[in-house]
Amino acid sequence: MLYREKRSSDTCPMAVENARGMRVLAVCGGLGLLYAVALGVWLTPSRMLPWALGAVVPCYLAGLSLCWKAPGHPVARRVLAAGAWAALGLVVRFTVALLGPLADWVPGPTTSWPLLLLVRTIDVVAAVMIGRLLALLPDGGERYAHERVALRSLWLLVAAPLVLMAVPMPLWLRLRLLVQPEAWMPAVGAGLLLVRSMLDARRPGAQSARWWRTVAAVAFALFAARGSMRLFRMWQGDSGPAYFIGCALGALPYVLISLGLVYVGFRHRLPGLDFTARRSTVYGLLWIIIGGWYLGMVTALGLTASQYLPISTAVLVTVSATMLCQPLRRQANRLAARRVFGARPSNFELLVQFGTTLEHAYDLTLLAPQLAVSLQEWLDLRWVHVELGTLGPERLPFATGTAGVVPDGADSSRTRVGLCYGDDALGFIEYGPKDEGRFTPEDRDLVETLARQAALAVHNARLNAELSIRIEEVQRQASELNASRTRIVQAQDTERRRIERQLHDGIQQELVALVAKLRLARNQLCRNGDTVYTTLTELQDDAYRVIDGLRELAHGIHPPVLTDQGLAAAVMSRARRLPIPVTVEIEPSVRPARFTPGIEEAAFFLVSEALTNVLKHARAGRVMVRIGRAGGSLLLDVSDDGIGLHSTTGPGSGLTGMRDRIEAVGGELSIISRPGDGTTLRARITETRREPTDA
Amino acid sequence: MPEPMSDRMRVLIAEDHYLVREGTRRLLEDTGEVVVVAAVGTADELLDAVHRFRPDAVIADIRMPPDHHTEGITAAHAIRAAHPGIGVVVLSQHANEQYAFALFQHGTDGLAYLLKERIGELEELLRALREVAVGRSVIDPRIVEVLVGSLTRTTDAPLSHLTRRELDVLRHMAQGKNNRSIAESLSLSESTIEKHVNSTFAKLGLAEETQLHRRVTAVLTYLRYGPEPAP
Repeated sequence: MLYREKRSSDTCPMAVENARGMRVLAVCGGLGLLYAVALGVWLTPSRMLPWALGAVVPCYLAGLSLCWKAPGHPVARRVLAAGAWAALGLVVRFTVALLGPLADWVPGPTTSWPLLLLVRTIDVVAAVMIGRLLALLPDGGERYAHERVALRSLWLLVAAPLVLMAVPMPLWLRLRLLVQPEAWMPAVGAGLLLVRSMLDARRPGAQSARWWRTVAAVAFALFAARGSMRLFRMWQGDSGPAYFIGCALGALPYVLISLGLVYVGFRHRLPGLDFTARRSTVYGLLWIIIGGWYLGMVTALGLTASQYLPISTAVLVTVSATMLCQPLRRQANRLAARRVFGARPSNFELLVQFGTTLEHAYDLTLLAPQLAVSLQEWLDLRWVHVELGTLGPERLPFATGTAGVVPDGADSSRTRVGLCYGDDALGFIEYGPKDEGRFTPEDRDLVETLARQAALAVHNARLNAELSIRIEEVQRQASELNASRTRIVQAQDTERRRIERQLHDGIQQELVALVAKLRLARNQLCRNGDTVYTTLTELQDDAYRVIDGLRELAHGIHPPVLTDQGLAAAVMSRARRLPIPVTVEIEPSVRPARFTPGIEEAAFFLVSEALTNVLKHARAGRVMVRIGRAGGSLLLDVSDDGIGLHSTTGPGSGLTGMRDRIEAVGGELSIISRPGDGTTLRARITETRREPTDA
Repeated sequence: MPEPMSDRMRVLIAEDHYLVREGTRRLLEDTGEVVVVAAVGTADELLDAVHRFRPDAVIADIRMPPDHHTEGITAAHAIRAAHPGIGVVVLSQHANEQYAFALFQHGTDGLAYLLKERIGELEELLRALREVAVGRSVIDPRIVEVLVGSLTRTTDAPLSHLTRRELDVLRHMAQGKNNRSIAESLSLSESTIEKHVNSTFAKLGLAEETQLHRRVTAVLTYLRYGPEPAP
């Protein structure tokens, strides 16, 4: 399918009838043209040939192509009708010319009157059709009352040749007057269009009216000039340069209208025209119309030359003129190409342009569709699918973009270009075949270069994303650090208060009691009593108790064995004092090892707290403490066979405290627990050893 | 310069706390069984004094200047290495078996580990001094209690199948006592004690040791590492 027919005009019977009529018109017009041109070229070297080629052929072709795309559109119908009608006029003329009486453009005195009347009437009808066509652009419908009146009254001109024939006047004047309606009609149409577009411009929502107004003004000026020229030619005679200029100007409205309608209809869509066509089709049509006009003009030039020069020189002049005018045609074609295809940037420009976009493209979701659409437009691809980034578990950027319709299923005509940065695959560009033409190596290079640039963009976007993830992490760690620092300070304060309470309420009180009992012993001694021995023994026992209490307190503040003999001894000593069996497994290399005080204290604190928790909460039968090392880290593992942690309650302050202590020395703590299945605390602390000191 | 009264034990005291040092000296001299040849405050002074006075036994505080860690233990090892005839009683504030193990890491002969408050139980201190002076060893009952306790606490513990009497005998053996003093402590006949010692060794799977110091080492090793062989 070369175009998409969105409007289903086939369903309407009226439209079907219209379409049939159009077909008849098209066939008749085509046959008529073939007949006329063949006659003109092969049988009678007539001065009507330039007119046929330069005006009727373009008009007919434009109508044909517009009707082919939009059979129901009034403008299309009118153009085709005008073209076909003009072709009919040609048929009559050439037939007459073949038969003899109407020798040339302006019939001589020998011409039979009925024939002249017929030819002229056909001409006037054609002119009125062109006038109506112009006046009712762009939608083809009558919109204002004055239009209806003016356009309908134009039909009255059909009677003009008959009237002129009937009114007595000199022959030369009659002949001159007979061509006037045809000469001025395009100008009348353009004038009406100008009025209409000016009225349109006042109505709301008519954005294109101003554009049409300009077109109408230019057309009016041109066609008025054409009419004047005809007037001038009428008095000046119709031969030599005047003929050539008249011929060029005479064909001009038809060529311009045809070119304009084809271009506007195919490229910018007339109101009510809803189709798309390949640009090359439009360009081809324009090329044919320009070519026909060019041929007509050259023929006219040749004919003009042949009036003055011998035939061989005339041919020479014509050929030279053809060659000289060739650049003009080329320019016209180039203009058409530029209008149709737009200014196509070079690959280099594309790369620079896209590279600039990429530099700032951290947002892949915008970049992906942009890349897809740009590639599709630049290379005329049927479809393009772009995937930037790869979907993964990480929070890395990913985006897709599609232009055109990607065909389902495996299509052999799809090409995939991967995006690579180093060894990383960062997505791909996939595309279908070109709309027209082959995929050249230059195109391939362009895609690959864009792929490299896109890979770079994805890489940048990734770096960007990773960076923001890192920053988030650092911020989270910083706030966590602050919180844990606060908790540690609070824990220290709580601990100080506890020690103070134990010193004041415990040991000091006991010492006061000792003092009191000592006083009692003194009193007993003074009374020379026998009881003093018992009291003194009691005193000694009391003193032992104070010493025990003090020892416990000191041990609670900081176990001396940890400082004196290291982690392993302290852990084993702690384990031995637990009322449930504790299995301690310490890797031989850890036993004599001494770590920095911070690590030893954190590790011991963890084991000690964990064991206390086991005693308090776990209702465990056995506990296992493992201390080992791996990869420069100290590994601690305390597991019990108790009731496990309840998942409903979050980590208690005890666990948080342990985590704080471990994290304060750069370690990490994990807790594995299921209700009824015991608890395992696992810590990993990066080792920092100190030189072993002799204990 | 040898003392004229050769039946009194010549003791050297190393203790950095003045009051404790002088108190201990007075207590010991008050018994009339001991001559305190010197009382010093640091480990260095101790080694120097040992060299000069060649006492029968030394009482050393475990923590002494300059670092207040385990200078007493280090000094004890140095003394035992230089003068195998001199016994050392280490007085410690730590009721922690790890320190005792540290003291006994090269052998138990001529060494005693006592808690500091044993100064109040003069008989115990005197006995320890006498034992180390003849090359035997003494361990504070509190330490033995911790060791035995950790092995008897549960039904599947290694010492759970010993009788109460056998456990008592084991405790005393661990403290370094010979059969006679165990018999005295438990008010039993020496032959009964010997029977209990044999049955205890059999139950623990230990080879019977006739030599007292080897017996102490074996019992301590057992208490430290349990039924598994020592690593």
